[in-house]
This record gives sequence, C-alpha cells and structure tokens, in this order.
Amino acid sequence: MTLFKQLSILVTLLLLSIFATVLGVNFQNSAKSVQDQLYTDAKNTATSLSLSLASANGNISMISTMINANFDNGTYQSISLVDMNGQVLYERHSERKIADVPKWFVKYIPIKAPIAAANVSAGWNPIGLLNVQCDTATAYLHLYTILYSLTISFSVIFIISLILLYILLIMLLKPLKNIRLQAEAISNNKFIIQEKLPYTQDFKEVVQVMNIMVKKVEDIFNHANETLRHQSELLYKDEATGLYNKKYLLNKLPEYLKVDAQIPDGICMMIALSGGAEANQALGRELVDKLYVDITTMLRRQAKDFNNSLVVRMNGTEFFLLLPECSEENALSLANYMDHGSTILLSKDLDEKVTFLSFGVYKYHHTQSVKQVISASDYALAQAKLIPHKERVYLHKTVSNDEIMGKEEWRKLIKFALDHNTIHFDTYKVLNIKSGELVHNVLSIALLSESQKYSYGHFIAPAISLGLDIEIHKKAVEKLLKEPPFELKGTICSLRLSEHYLDNPATYNELKSLFEKYAKNLSFKLIIELPDIVLAKNSKQLQVFKELFENYNIQIGIFEFIGEPRDYNYLKELRPAYIKAEVNYFLSQTSENISSLQVAANSIGIDLIATSVMELEALGTLKARKINMIQGRATEMLG
Amino acid sequence: MILKYIILFLLALTFANAEAYVSQDMINNVAKKYNKFAENRFINMEHKLEGLQDKTTIIKLNTVNTFFNQVNYKSDMENYNMADYWATPWEFLARDAGDCEDYVIAKYFALKYLGIDPKQMYFTYVKSTQFKEAHMVLTYFETPTSEPLVLDNNNRFVLPASKRVDLTPVYNFNGDVLSASAKKANQKTTQKWDDLILNIKKGKI
Repeated sequence: MTLFKQLSILVTLLLLSIFATVLGVNFQNSAKSVQDQLYTDAKNTATSLSLSLASANGNISMISTMINANFDNGTYQSISLVDMNGQVLYERHSERKIADVPKWFVKYIPIKAPIAAANVSAGWNPIGLLNVQCDTATAYLHLYTILYSLTISFSVIFIISLILLYILLIMLLKPLKNIRLQAEAISNNKFIIQEKLPYTQDFKEVVQVMNIMVKKVEDIFNHANETLRHQSELLYKDEATGLYNKKYLLNKLPEYLKVDAQIPDGICMMIALSGGAEANQALGRELVDKLYVDITTMLRRQAKDFNNSLVVRMNGTEFFLLLPECSEENALSLANYMDHGSTILLSKDLDEKVTFLSFGVYKYHHTQSVKQVISASDYALAQAKLIPHKERVYLHKTVSNDEIMGKEEWRKLIKFALDHNTIHFDTYKVLNIKSGELVHNVLSIALLSESQKYSYGHFIAPAISLGLDIEIHKKAVEKLLKEPPFELKGTICSLRLSEHYLDNPATYNELKSLFEKYAKNLSFKLIIELPDIVLAKNSKQLQVFKELFENYNIQIGIFEFIGEPRDYNYLKELRPAYIKAEVNYFLSQTSENISSLQVAANSIGIDLIATSVMELEALGTLKARKINMIQGRATEMLG
Repeated sequence: MILKYIILFLLALTFANAEAYVSQDMINNVAKKYNKFAENRFINMEHKLEGLQDKTTIIKLNTVNTFFNQVNYKSDMENYNMADYWATPWEFLARDAGDCEDYVIAKYFALKYLGIDPKQMYFTYVKSTQFKEAHMVLTYFETPTSEPLVLDNNNRFVLPASKRVDLTPVYNFNGDVLSASAKKANQKTTQKWDDLILNIKKGKI
C-alpha cells in the first residue's frame, strides 16, 4: 500500500473520530442544556404558580382550578401539590405522545424531565410543596432538530475538510510520487534525473542522492558506449580508406543470408588490385595509398544506388561489394564500367599488364551460408585474375537453387494453414550455462499442413515471395494471444517480428486491438524480438510500438547484433531485455570490446545472449568472456 | 490578651467533643481580614451558641434573635455595592452589618446548628406595613399547621405571627426542603440559595 493511501486512511479515520467526538460532545451539551432548560422552565412555573396559589389561602378547589388553568395552557408532564406530610393534595398528569421524532431517537436518547419544587403557603403557614415537571415531547423535537442540523453541518465540514486535507496531502506527497517514479525507473534501469528538487528537506536529500546515483550510472553507460563505439571502429574499419573490413563482413553477411531476408538475392563482387608491389616501387607508397582511396571512392559511388549495399576492404589489395537486388547483367555492366574507369585511376606510369583491377562477380541467394558466398566470390575473383587481357571480369554462375515445391504449392499450403488456423509454435530454449536455468523460450512460427509440419526456415522465404509473410505474422500473434499454448503458462517467451511486418501500416492498430483484448490476461511474459538494425534507427514508428508494448508489460529484445561502430544511446532509450548476437560475434571480438559492451549492457540491465551456439566447445570461451546465456543446438545437448 | 487565650482554652476544654459553629482557623482569618472587634464578635457568638446547646427552643430562638439583632442594618448596595446579595453568616457578623435577608440567614443557620429542624423554619417574604417595603423575616413553626413565631430584625421580641399585624405574609421559602427535591433532579435549588450554600461551604468571610 502506498504512503498516500496509508495517510489518506489515517487522515480519514482521524477526521472521522474528531468529528464524531465533537458531534457527540456537542450533542451531549445540547441534551444537557435542553434538560437544564426543562428544569428552569419547571422551576419558574413552580415558583410563580406557588405564589399565585398563596392567594387561595389553602382552598383546595381554588388551588386545583389554578393548577388546571396552568396545566391546560402549558406543556407539562405533571403538576402536583403535596402537603407537609407528603400526601398528594392535587395532581395533573399528561400522557402525551412524542410526535415528529423517530422512535429510535426516543429509544436511544433518554430524556427525563426534572421535577422542580416550590413552597406553597397560605398566609403565614406553608401548606405543602408544588412539584412541576415539563413535557419532554418538545424537548425531544428540539433535540432531534439539533442532532439533524449538527449531523448535516458536520458532514459538510467533514467532506470539505477531507477534500482540503487530501489536496494538502497530494501537494505534500507529490515529491514522494516523483521519488517513487524515479525509484521505479532506476529499478527498470532508466535514467531519470529530477531537475526540480522538492521543498521538503528530507525528500530533497533523497532526490539529490538518487540524482547523483542515476548520474553515475549514466556516466558509466556513456563511457562504455563511447569505448564500445571506438573499439568497434578499430575492429571493423580500415584505417586508410574508412571502409569496413573482412571481420565486419563476416559478421554482417548473416543479415543478408537469412531465411526471412526481404531481399532474397544480390551480387557479391570481389575486386582485387594486382601488381600492388610494383605500383609501390613505381609511384611510391603515398601515391598508391591515394590510389586505394580513389578506388574506394569509385566503389562507394557505384554501390550507393543499391539499398543496403556494402563496400568492404577485405585486405590490402582486395575489396568486396555487396549489392542486394542487383542482377547478374547489371553487375557485369557495372564491373565493366568500373574496369574502364580504373584505367583513368591507374597512372600511365604503371604497366597495365602488371597492375590492374580484377572483378569476380557472384550472385548470392539468401539461403546460402556465409562460407558458401565467400568461397564462391573468391573463386570468381581468382577466375577473373586469370583473364589475360583487359576487362578482367568473371561471372561465376550460381548453381540453380530451385525449390522442391513450386510457388503455387506453397501458396496452397500457406493458405490452408491460415484458413484452418494451423499455425503452430516451435519452442527453443535460451539457457543460462552458469546456473543451468531456463532464461526464456524462443517461439518460432511453424505451419501445419494435413500431413507435415513446416518450420519457419522452410516456409518464410516462399511466403515472402508470395507476399503472405505479413498475414502469417498477424495470424501467429493473434493465435499466440488468443490461444496461448498451455505449456507456456508462467514462462517467459520471445517472438520475433520482422521489420516487414512492423512496417505494414495496419500492423499497429491490429496489435493494439489484440493487446487490448488479450494482453492483460496473458498467462506468460512476452518479449518481442526485433533486429538490431531496426532498433538502432530508433524511428518514430518504433517509439510508437515500444509505447504500445510497454502499456501491456511487453518487453523488447534485440537480435542480429554485430556491434556496429555507432552510438548506442538507443539502448538506453529503448531498454531491451536482452541483446542476441551470433556466437561468432562474441568469439571474434576483442576482450576490450566485449567488456565495454558488458559494462554498457549491465549499467542498464540488458542481458547478452549468444545465438547459433551449435557446439559445446564454444561454451568455454563464452564463459571466459562472461557470456552466460546461450541459444542454439548446444542447449539441447546441455538440456 | 492573656485573658482571651485563657477563655479560648477553657472553651476548648469544655467543648472538646462538640463540633464548633466556627473553627479557630476562621476566627484567625476574621482577625486577619477585619479587626479584633470582629474576632471578638465571633468568639462571643461561639461562646453564646455553645451555651445554648441544652436550652429550650424558645430560649434558643430568643437568644439567637437578640444576638444577631445587635448587628447594624446596612443595605446591600452600601455594604457590597450590589442590589441584592445573600451574605454568609460570617460575612454578616464580620462586617457587623447586613440587610433583612442577612439577619434571617444568620439566625437560620445558627438555629440549625443548635438542633432546630430546618423544616420548621422558613424564610418568609413579608410586606411591612410600617415601613411600606418588602421585607424578610424568619418564621418558626412548632408544627406545620401551628401559628409561626416571627424572628424579625426590626423587633427585638420573638412574637407569634398574629401579634405582628404590621407584617403581611407573601411567600415562604425553605432552601433545605427544596434542595432535597432538586438533588433528585441533579439540579439547582434556586440561584441565591445555591450560591449561599456554596459560599458557606467555602467559609467566605
């Protein structure tokens, strides 16, 4: 229970007891006052009547007449005259009903009218005592009216006081609310600094300490971020040309060569400068270095026309161009164009038979492995170098990768799965190799036909080419939320959503509507996995999705992380639950790089997970690098 | 001075077992607040009342009436700067002055001390035909129906009411009788009576 609630209850009870006590005391005083008044009235009547009775000189008939006159014209319960021996000489008594007052009031508030007495004389002699008792009906009515008015006025004052006290409490505890939000933010590894310090000294000191703490953690992150960026640049970039190097290419290529790549194929072009040593001798190192920079400029200029193209310097004399969606014909004409252009770059002082550029062209397909693509590209370049004349351009034809199933068959199969809602989820484990505990389950969409199950790797490429991948994702999310598999109850699960699906304009509203209906009662904790390249953009669209996910306590996870040399502040803003990178990334990085990444990640509570861990041999190195969470075939061997 | 202490000592020895009408502390306080004459009046009263303990009612009535009638008459306005004030017997005797109610009060409580049943005595409001003004006397009733004896500050004799043709009775009042009824109701008797009783309890001088 929050302090505000506790204080609110306390204040309410306190106010209630104060008002109840004051009401009670007021009412008691009023009751006493009414009773006093009853006695005073009776006393005054007794005295004045006894004086009148003195004139009757002891004549009882006269006395009774005078008592009757008084009794009938006033509101009395009884008037009696007793003689000096205590014998009643005359008495009048009324049994008047108490009207206009609730019965419970009469029952619980006993009013006894006091009896007032006065001496009655006849000449010199006292003849007795006159007792007068006033009627309580009027007193009850009067007292009930007082209670009613008191209750109404006290209720109004109580409500007003309560409202004012609540406003005061809200004002007083506002800093506490901010402190709570800041504390929650800290526990969620968010950096919130309260610029406006509270007025209350105690709160002020707490906020100051928390601000200092947050600032320190933020500084740690910023320092690690800067170091990581710097280390990545050293690791991934060629100093002379500013191009990415081979290490970067090897880590980056899986992004292009994945089953659900939106661009299924493209061109890999290896370019090599032969006769570098001779050129050094002829021109000098400085001019040759400039030559490499010129070649780089040329390659960059040609590559920029292709989305997601990549220019890499593989080693001192070789370059690599990756041109997604480029056809073989275009690649050949581009290579020839560059070959012609190179003659301008290469000085006349150089022997063109010794110093020349060779172009090995290879059309890759996204289903191929990194090794296959690099080998084929190498082969193409080797063949190009063997061409004995100008235009050393060689196209290494891709071996036909025809699908066993035709497009129409895939369409039928996918449609069947969508129409019959036979979407299924394969689960893979992410394990903590230190503790052996399950970190979370990775959900992978699968389709069931009448006779067979098709995993994500099987169906996603044809689905993309058929334009059905978005529909599959939509149905999968819907099924996961509407009919979550029972075995997932109480676990943490991750589900990958493709950039293509998120880019679809209808996706946001569809997800929002599904979350509104089902996400609050979800039996497991869901993490949506997104590619690092999408998060790094930190676009407005992503912010909108992040906000939507946050509203339903759904976290974001990152995959395909390769430690690009960039500013990692997006991690601080987007707070992913974890970063997943291929095991090769963790193994190929310098320990300084990994250490910087870990410091940055730890400072904001992000876990690091190595994926595609196929062999147990890798675990030792991962442990040594303090990467304790893994995903891949190795988990089955451990499990 | 020595004589005074001898008398007090003898009085103390004589009435060691009886409760005094006024305490020695009160006499000392009177001496301190007023003067030695006031103190002597108190000693004298104590002496006089103790001497009456075993006497007949009529002697008690006459002696008490005579004793207090020696006090000078003075209106409440002159005495207390108030229109109407019921003084305690101690204030009355210490100041050696009072109005008709003060005589009645002093006589009533002295006689009550001497064992007269309070129910036999009444503060009687009368009209004085001689002075043509409101007046108060103390009346004593042998029985409830018998003719009362009138103790009046304007008359040194205690006379039957029938002999006091100069007085017309208007109203009889007995605080002790009424307070018994008022106590049942946990209420006051009358304002004046209750104030008087309170002042007597406090020993107001």
